[in-house]
Amino acid sequence: MKIPDTPSNESQRLALLRSLLILDTPEETRFDRLTHLVQQCLGSDIVLISLVDQDRQWFKSKQGLEACETGRDISFCGHAILADNILEIPDARQDERFADNPLVTGEPYIRFYAGAPLSIDGYKIGTLCLIDRQPRQMTNSERSILREFADAIEQEIVDRLQEHAHRQLQQREQRYRSVLEGTRIGTWEWNVQTGETVFNERWAEMIGYTLAELAPISIDTWLTLAHPEDLSESGRLLQSHFAGELDFYDYQCRMRHKAGHWIWVHDRGRVISRTEDGQPLMMYGTHADITAAKLAEHALQDSRDQFATLVNNIPGITYRCLPDEQWTMLFMSGSIDPLSGYPASDFINNAERSYASVIHPDDQKMLERAVAKALNAKKGWRLQYRVVHKDGRVRYVEERGQAEYDVDGTVRFLDGFILDVSNEKLLKRQLLKLTEQLPGMVYQFQQWPDGRMTFPYASANIETIYGVTVEQAKQDATPVFEHIVQDDLSGLIESIETSRRDLTLWNHEYRIQNANGEVVWLSGHAMPESLPDGSVLWHGYIDDITHTKQFYLALEAANEQLHLAQQRLELSSRQAQIGYWQASLKTGELWWSPMIYEVFGFDSAITQPSVALFKSTVHPDDLALLEASEEKAKTTGLHDVVHRIIRTDGQIRWVHELAQMVTADNNPELIMIGSVQDVTERMRLQQVKDDFISTVSHELRTPLTSITAALKLILSTQADSLNVTTQKLVNIAFSNGTRLHHLINDLLDVEKLAAGKMSFDIKQQPILPIIEKALADHAAYADKLAISLELRMDDFASNVSIRVDEHRLQQILANLLSNAMKYSAPESAVTIEVGMNGQWLEVAICDHGEGIPDAFRDRIFQRFAQADASSAREKGGTGLGLALCKELVEGMNGEIGFTSTHGIGSRFYVRFLHQPIENF
Amino acid sequence: MTLNRIMHVEDDESIRLVVEMSLVDVAGFELLSCDGGESALQQVVSFAPQLILLDVMMPKMDGLQTLAALREIPHVADIPVVMMTAKIQDAEKQHYLQCGAVAVLNKPFDPMTLGKQLLAIYQQHTSR
Repeated sequence: MKIPDTPSNESQRLALLRSLLILDTPEETRFDRLTHLVQQCLGSDIVLISLVDQDRQWFKSKQGLEACETGRDISFCGHAILADNILEIPDARQDERFADNPLVTGEPYIRFYAGAPLSIDGYKIGTLCLIDRQPRQMTNSERSILREFADAIEQEIVDRLQEHAHRQLQQREQRYRSVLEGTRIGTWEWNVQTGETVFNERWAEMIGYTLAELAPISIDTWLTLAHPEDLSESGRLLQSHFAGELDFYDYQCRMRHKAGHWIWVHDRGRVISRTEDGQPLMMYGTHADITAAKLAEHALQDSRDQFATLVNNIPGITYRCLPDEQWTMLFMSGSIDPLSGYPASDFINNAERSYASVIHPDDQKMLERAVAKALNAKKGWRLQYRVVHKDGRVRYVEERGQAEYDVDGTVRFLDGFILDVSNEKLLKRQLLKLTEQLPGMVYQFQQWPDGRMTFPYASANIETIYGVTVEQAKQDATPVFEHIVQDDLSGLIESIETSRRDLTLWNHEYRIQNANGEVVWLSGHAMPESLPDGSVLWHGYIDDITHTKQFYLALEAANEQLHLAQQRLELSSRQAQIGYWQASLKTGELWWSPMIYEVFGFDSAITQPSVALFKSTVHPDDLALLEASEEKAKTTGLHDVVHRIIRTDGQIRWVHELAQMVTADNNPELIMIGSVQDVTERMRLQQVKDDFISTVSHELRTPLTSITAALKLILSTQADSLNVTTQKLVNIAFSNGTRLHHLINDLLDVEKLAAGKMSFDIKQQPILPIIEKALADHAAYADKLAISLELRMDDFASNVSIRVDEHRLQQILANLLSNAMKYSAPESAVTIEVGMNGQWLEVAICDHGEGIPDAFRDRIFQRFAQADASSAREKGGTGLGLALCKELVEGMNGEIGFTSTHGIGSRFYVRFLHQPIENF
Repeated sequence: MTLNRIMHVEDDESIRLVVEMSLVDVAGFELLSCDGGESALQQVVSFAPQLILLDVMMPKMDGLQTLAALREIPHVADIPVVMMTAKIQDAEKQHYLQCGAVAVLNKPFDPMTLGKQLLAIYQQHTSR
């Protein structure tokens, strides 16, 4: 048996066979129908489409055989594919290549075999073969039929492969379409020449439509919906693509959404076919909705713009530089300009100058060392140094920076932020100066959770106040507490604890003992602040208030004294039954002391002081008296009256009211203060006294009446029957009786005046008749003493009237006239002068007596004052006359006085405010 | 109308005597002296004075009580009463006048002019 040879192109042949994707596939009607036709036409027992694989022959279609494959080594077809024509074996038994082939010697007992090679692309992949179990000879016609069928099968194999490829293409397209539909990408196809255009549904959806709504669709559909401003750029890009300058047409444009707004679309496509003359024909492309991305891009751009603006507007400078000696700048924000006087561009890569060149020479080494140290420690740095401005000014800056390292730890860049702190520095310096000026101490006091305490900041006065230096206090606050006076320490600590716990303002006054051993009062105020590390930081001020405190303590002592004085006053007012009140005539406020409530019988707990309430208690009979005093107070400022009140319990009491306006200079509230004294007892005693005087005067006068009347009767009717001596004695008795009478009258008058009981019947009246009557009344007495009474009255005065009680004025004139005559030498003159003295009408009685002795002048208007007691007895005076005159004159708002020259005489005068007669 | 008959009421005998000398001997009036209010009330109707001079301070029945009682007697009520007092408080004088006295005279008085004073008062009163 001959084993078939392997074709020279076996490997390519096998590759082709496998690429046909036909081996080991199921039976197919298209092939089976042809093999069946071959069987019918050519009358063979077996018809096979045999495909020769590497080690076997596999039957794609078989008629009259069960087996589906046999080994290639025993195959007839392995031989058939080696030739171009049909391999025809009429009787295998007779052919040495096959006589002992098991397919000949055994099933299926092949005798006749004819195999037409199946050739695809020049490679023989197998055969269409006929097999009979009997030897046979083929006719040419039969050979020709077999060849045609083989050709038909070759075509079927090619068609089948193409169909498969097409199917796969369809599947792939379907897959791509599914993917596209699954994305938000629209597709379009455009016949550039005809304008015919196809969009997918997604394309329409993107702009809010359905395709049906957009029909009929053409390129105009797109042109209508695209933003007019974007069309020209779109056209330009399209032409560039058509001309081959751009691989793709790629453009982002706006399209109008059905809802009216514009959406951003990314349009990308390419020409995929051209006409024979090279013109673009079909163009395919996609549309993607990039509105969100576009908006995000815009937002990003806005953020970048904002960032750029921010960087340019922040007061500091941001930079990135190389870690070299010159600080070679890779980036530097524009704020360097105002700081150095040079633009940022100067420093980038040291274009014009290095950053090191503007650092103050004295600070450069410090700066280098500090940054190097920070870099070694792989930490950031925070430094203050000086920058020299172009104009020579020195600016203070604070720089914060940190390095960026490689994976291997090498420093790549230095990044940082430089802030001009010159103003802060200046302010801080000013603030420091200010705090040094303050009398007290400005400070920060910190308390950590573990109980440690320090003064992170304290102005220099801490040394003056606590004797602790600023540096010491910065380390430890406990030395400060050692100065606190022991008694005040717990209170101080408690107040700090309260402030710490409640985060409330700390206000405390306490004492310390200073270096000289003196006790100093301090007042502290501080605001606590809770820090993230759990400690509390107070910002505050402590002041030496020793002087204030001393004043305060003195004030307290004074208050205590005042309190005691008030208590004493209270006690004495209680004893004296005097109550006090205070009223503001401006605000109407009225205050009563407790005694007032008691005097009036009011319950202080439920009684509101008021003028009306007070008035309601006044005895109806005394109301007029009270009101008269009030009226008088309006001009004199003094209210002084005694009247009755009716208490709430019905008791009638006498009260003495005395009130005075506080001096106007110091009394903006028009404060009036007054007292009310219960004088019921005094009034009772007064009544007793009045009754006594009344009784005494009655008891004295009754016998005196009999005595003088009897003597007068004797002298008037019996004088002739008396001898001279008797007549003299009776005269003496009568004269002394009369004197006693005057004495009693004067005494009673003085008492009346003293008790305020003298009532005056004051009337406006002309002076002339009063003077004339006085002259007339004293004419007889003057004659008796051989005194000439003279009147000197100017014309004006004779027409003046005055407000007086005529009876009392007569009493005054009588006293003065009788005094003048008594002390005048016989044959001398006593003159009554009536004249004007400014607003006053003055009546003066002038004598030519001895005058008033100097020693007596001061006492002349006192009661029972007489220059010489013996002379009084001689002259028959009571010693009460001038005292009485003074009281009477003043009771009528007049004045009394005298001038006297020893040895020449005296002039006594009384004055009253005058009014011309015509005016009343 | 001429004043003739005067009733004087006074508890002090000395004064009664002085007044009697003054009004009868000096002035020439017809006088009835009574030593108290009761006596005066008993005799006033029978004596029928034209003017009564009444002392204020008297034991038992004082001047004001006597005055009030006199005012109760028919025909006597119209007789002018002049009070005489050693009390010189103005308020008291005013009070007497309010109680019906036509005038108040002070003690001591001038015995030589007392009659003239009463006559003047009487004439002033009756001329109203």
